[in-house]
Amino acid sequence: MTEPVWGPVHQDIVGLLADHPADVPAVVDHLTKLQDLLVRLPPLEASCPLADFNRLYLVITSTVLDGLYEDRFVDPAFLARLDVEFAARYFEALRFWTDSSPSTPRAWSCLFKRMRGPDARPLPSAAAGVNAHINYDLPFALVTTLESLESEPVDGSDQHRDYLEINKIFAERIPELRRGYLDHWQLMIDMVNGDIDDWYQGELVEYTRNVAWRNAQKIWHCRHDPDARECERTRLDDNAALLGRLLLSPLGAFLQ
Amino acid sequence: MASDVDSAPLVGRAGTVATLRSALLDDVAPGHTAAVFLTGESGVGKTRLLSEVGEQVRQGGALVLTGACLDIGDASPLHPVRQALRRLDADLAEARTTSAVRGLLQVFDEETPGPDGAGALLERVAQGLHLVAGGRPLVLVLDDLQWVDRSTRQLLLYLLAGLGDLQLSVLAAIRAESLRGAHPLRRVLAELRRLRSVQVVDLLPLDRSGTDELAAAIVGAPLPPEAADQLWQRSGGNPFVVEELARDRRDGRDGLSDTLREVFLGRVDALPQPAHAVVQAVAAGVEPVEHWLLAQVVRLPEDELLDAVREAVAHRLLVGADDGYRLRHRLVAEILAGELLPAERAALHRRYAEALTAAPAELHQARLAHHWRQAGEPARALPAAMAAAREAERLHGYAEAHRHWSTALTLAAAPAVVPADGGRPAPVEVDRAELLSHAAEAAHHSGEHARALTLLAELSADPAGPPTCALHIRRARYLAAAGRSAPAEEEYRRVLSTADCTPHERCTAAARRAELLLHLGRYAEAGEQAREALDLAAGVPGCTSEVVLASSALGFSEAFLGDPADGLTVMRRALETAESSGRPEDVACAYLHLAELLTGPLNILEEGVVVARRGAERVAELGLGRTWETRLLAVATNGLFRVGQWAEAEKVVAAALRHRPSGADAVELLLARCRLSVGYGDVEASDRDLEAVATVLAGGGARHVLPMLILRAGLAMWQGRHDLARQAVQRGLTESRSDDVIVLATLAWHGLRAEAEAAASRTVEVDPNAVRRLREVVDRVTRKSAQAGAPVRYVADGFLALCDAELSRLDDGRGDPELWGRSATEWDRRHHPYPAAYSRLRQAEALLSRRSRMATAGKLLRQAHATAQALGAVPLSAEIRTLAGRARVTLDDAPAPAPRPRAAPAVPAVDELAVLTAREREVLAAVAEGLTNKEIGQRLFISERTIGVHVSHIFDKLQVRTRVQASAIFLRNRPE
Repeated sequence: MTEPVWGPVHQDIVGLLADHPADVPAVVDHLTKLQDLLVRLPPLEASCPLADFNRLYLVITSTVLDGLYEDRFVDPAFLARLDVEFAARYFEALRFWTDSSPSTPRAWSCLFKRMRGPDARPLPSAAAGVNAHINYDLPFALVTTLESLESEPVDGSDQHRDYLEINKIFAERIPELRRGYLDHWQLMIDMVNGDIDDWYQGELVEYTRNVAWRNAQKIWHCRHDPDARECERTRLDDNAALLGRLLLSPLGAFLQ
Repeated sequence: MASDVDSAPLVGRAGTVATLRSALLDDVAPGHTAAVFLTGESGVGKTRLLSEVGEQVRQGGALVLTGACLDIGDASPLHPVRQALRRLDADLAEARTTSAVRGLLQVFDEETPGPDGAGALLERVAQGLHLVAGGRPLVLVLDDLQWVDRSTRQLLLYLLAGLGDLQLSVLAAIRAESLRGAHPLRRVLAELRRLRSVQVVDLLPLDRSGTDELAAAIVGAPLPPEAADQLWQRSGGNPFVVEELARDRRDGRDGLSDTLREVFLGRVDALPQPAHAVVQAVAAGVEPVEHWLLAQVVRLPEDELLDAVREAVAHRLLVGADDGYRLRHRLVAEILAGELLPAERAALHRRYAEALTAAPAELHQARLAHHWRQAGEPARALPAAMAAAREAERLHGYAEAHRHWSTALTLAAAPAVVPADGGRPAPVEVDRAELLSHAAEAAHHSGEHARALTLLAELSADPAGPPTCALHIRRARYLAAAGRSAPAEEEYRRVLSTADCTPHERCTAAARRAELLLHLGRYAEAGEQAREALDLAAGVPGCTSEVVLASSALGFSEAFLGDPADGLTVMRRALETAESSGRPEDVACAYLHLAELLTGPLNILEEGVVVARRGAERVAELGLGRTWETRLLAVATNGLFRVGQWAEAEKVVAAALRHRPSGADAVELLLARCRLSVGYGDVEASDRDLEAVATVLAGGGARHVLPMLILRAGLAMWQGRHDLARQAVQRGLTESRSDDVIVLATLAWHGLRAEAEAAASRTVEVDPNAVRRLREVVDRVTRKSAQAGAPVRYVADGFLALCDAELSRLDDGRGDPELWGRSATEWDRRHHPYPAAYSRLRQAEALLSRRSRMATAGKLLRQAHATAQALGAVPLSAEIRTLAGRARVTLDDAPAPAPRPRAAPAVPAVDELAVLTAREREVLAAVAEGLTNKEIGQRLFISERTIGVHVSHIFDKLQVRTRVQASAIFLRNRPE
């Protein structure tokens, strides 16, 4: 038998992933437990690239939770469910990876592959996770959430406003991604061409989150057509994977 | 007809088969429902497992219905269920079941569009299935659920929630690949998998030994190690791939085919020409392809056709069944898809379309539209698409209808490709405006609000479209349905200033606008607008619906502005108007609004209940039992619960549920019944209703989640599960809007009560973070309710009183008797005996723990106990009795109702505790819990010193020297 995917913490992670958190407090709890396990994963331990992302994600989600308690959003039912659905996709990608399933989104597997080394710098690792999560998972999570709430992605709606409020949370929590490394980002993006060009115009997270909203609107219109939906999914997965690999390449180290 | 050729054994699934069998049949209690959703990648063996398990449960005595969903997206509503019934009909020998099956099939055929048609159809289908089952457990097996239509999905949730009153299990297979991305089933499965009656089983590929076993079974001998390794590498344990690769190896074709694709392409190439044609034809058809249809499409003489089919089956490309032919596997279809030239494919579709035109068959119009479209003939596809849309509307499948209408619009816009062909009929003339109008309405009914508005915008640009005023009214209707009250109100305002409006339209707009203003909380404007609507209605005949609507808007707005009497008069008059000149729906509506006003903002509960019940009787006479009677009885049930007439409420809710309601109406009633069960302390019944609510809500909708969470918290507290109560409250707090002060106040009270009781009973640690957040919520509610309308403030204040008192309990561990007293008074004032009795219990507890005014405490306990007993509130009574026992308060009543029968406790041969007095036993029980003398004193309301005396007596009598030894004796002699 080959070594299990998660090495010494395999059973713990499998056990954790068997549970499906149903609300935002449970998601935060889940991410906290996952963090404790990831930093025990040899050989990188505390500098595990996935832990870099997970740490950031935990901070963001905890802030969202505080916001939900503190009356920060207009439509908390939407935001809470979006948050749960969003996280479910991260946990699902981890489950696929655990099963060595070919269904693991490529957007994620480029980061997962690096868990056992070689070491990557924390910022690009976190950014690669943010990339997979926002560029690939978020549009689908939006569509699923809105559909289950019998709502629609309408610009200027309460839900859209709440969605944009999350950008502020990102802005508060990761200024380094937002401002400090702007020039580096710009430079790096300039070096690549094709699809990536229009991914970046100003502030990474804010911009990609708007792209995600627009992608959700696009998926919304073809959500009853299995072929078109799958086509869109593959496109997003490929684009996110491309950017993810780039972030984790030596070029990404440039960001630090 | 050819059947499946030599099939491989089912390897490595014995455990799964057994699990599924017991989950679907053996472990299902009579009258309950169960479901297993099987997910897995293509080729992993889902279909095979479905038929294996289906066979097993059939042998176990169940009636099995088997159907499959179709991937032509815009198929007909409820197709898999109708298909399953037809298959059963073809298989059956028993006359009784046959007539039940045919009767149910006829229900679908005779369905006509109408209000609440969808719900009534669900009820009729449930009844039909009941007859079909004939007392046997019913198992519905559905393949390819990833393509399920919305109506079937709703039917499944309805039946699984137990609303159809049917013992049913569902076994459904879903392709895992389809669930990636944004598939609508994702969310449904995520919600359902939390239920105890539902399992989501992920079918994984075979492991190495399973792979070897399967290959050996096919080849007839174990594979040499190298070949086995290779097979494992290439197949990844996917049984379908293993089977086909192994078969090739057995047949001596090893080395040629590396991949499945090559395996099948090799086989297709090896086919003789006629068999090749058969396979290609089936690939282009909608499965199952009937024999007669295939014959017409491939145009072979019968004998040759049969040979060709047999050949294709022998090459494992095709399977045949009674209802027609299918490709052996979905993967085969995908491999074949790229093999035909577009022109060849179009020609096949044309032949299908021509054959079907001549002979109507199952899914006739949808299939015709599909084939004509694929044949590149939009003009001929168009009438079929329109007919398919009407057919879907007949079965209330507006989502499917909307897609067919949209297809029709695309087809109508498509350039006519008309090569010379003598026999072609002239293109059908269609009115684009009419198509747009239908498409918009179907989109609106299926909840595609944005799409409906877009279509309406196109319609308004069309010169043949309806007049401006009608468009405004429709746009307003769509906006209101989308929950966009503000722009909808704006739109109605425009109607009122549009020149081409009829007086009737003006009246409608005014009444609807008043209703929207009320929703927006603009009470004064709502009242004004409602009065204008009533004035407008006075001069126009046939405006009764508008009168009812406007009167209710007026009634509610006045109530919120604090002037209830006037509004009530108006609404009573509206009811008279409806009775004298309205349609049955107007009468029903008038009753409902009046009952809601009385039991809601006015809190005149007794009268509200009377109105609701009288209304229910009246609308039943009018033939509106299923819809309006149900709603009126839900109002009556909730009113009766609050005034404390629980037994009566129970009867009413049972009567309402006999109508087998669906959707929101059903959820409302289940929640009402659950509220009663929680009060009664009936855990099993409460759980069942909560699961049923969660099942229905898995299909969508968020409005009822919060009441469900509140009940979950209430139930968990009676079970001593304060951690679960906390979780439910936390989820509720993160999902409720800040302007919903009543919900927030209720949640806050439940949360604080859970923390206070956790502290008192030591079940879980108090969570200081949770308490801090709950305090913040209480502050926020206090602030917001001050700005809310008087009726809202009135209810919120009651809960805030409870919150304050619970907080005092958390602050000093004993609670402030005065705050509890205030809470009891507040709820007395509202005539809600249940929370009042609860408050008295806590007030007494607080007094006793201070050991002051013991007589008052005794009086309070007796009073609370009398109320709780009258209600039938078992857990509350029990808590009162426990406290009374500890405080030595006599409740001087008849003995408590016998608890549910339980197994007799195993009594130790000699009771070592017999030497102790009752009080000493109580003290010893507390010692065994690890409490200190001080804590025991607090619990039993006696001084610490007295406890010390008791403890030393206990030590003497038991002849022990330590608390641990004493506890050990207690524990081994404990009853249970």
